[in-house]
Amino acid sequence: MIEVLFFGPVAECMGTGRLSVEHRPGLCLDTLREDLRARYPEAFALVSIAAIDGAHVRDAAVELADGCEVVFMSKFSGG
Amino acid sequence: MSDAVRLQQEDFSQDEEIRALQACSKRIGGIATFFGCARDFSDGREVSEIRFEAFNCMALSEMQRLRSEAIERFGLIEARIVHRLSAVKPGDAIVFIATGAEHRAPALQACQWIIDELKERVPIWKKEFTPQGETWVTPHP
Repeated sequence: MIEVLFFGPVAECMGTGRLSVEHRPGLCLDTLREDLRARYPEAFALVSIAAIDGAHVRDAAVELADGCEVVFMSKFSGG
Repeated sequence: MSDAVRLQQEDFSQDEEIRALQACSKRIGGIATFFGCARDFSDGREVSEIRFEAFNCMALSEMQRLRSEAIERFGLIEARIVHRLSAVKPGDAIVFIATGAEHRAPALQACQWIIDELKERVPIWKKEFTPQGETWVTPHP
């Protein structure tokens, strides 16, 4: 399973801070994002940043490992 | 002495942070600081409260990375970054950055660089509470 986390405006739009997604071989970040975007278009309209296992990821083609944690985030507003 | 990079609920003391930074080295000749506090007015609305949400582990690691990068990039002697995550009222402290260098120019440049980068790179989100309702803040350029 892949744990997908959400925070702030994305979580509010999703109505949840967490989803579990079944892992499948060859699943990459971009595919996961598009799958979730189709199901949650309003929330994913806010998403512009992703992290895997706590680290910011820029390569959307990166393959996801079973058991990893993915976070889809909107632009930050701290400080 | 508290850690140089912290996310915390409780308020902080600017004086204590500066003292902690200065205690690192007597070679520090210039200290620059940035203090971010909550405003009572935003986008045409009165703000009564601001709340924060953070992806804590990544936020802390990014702040630590910012500190390390700033020290290397600007030749700093030390830097400290503190960000609160509790609900705050207008006037309350949100974030504090202190940079120490031998001379003023790198300290000042690094201080601005850190807050600019923090806003882009650290996963913290701010929600403003107003008479018109609550809204997640859209980042300022």
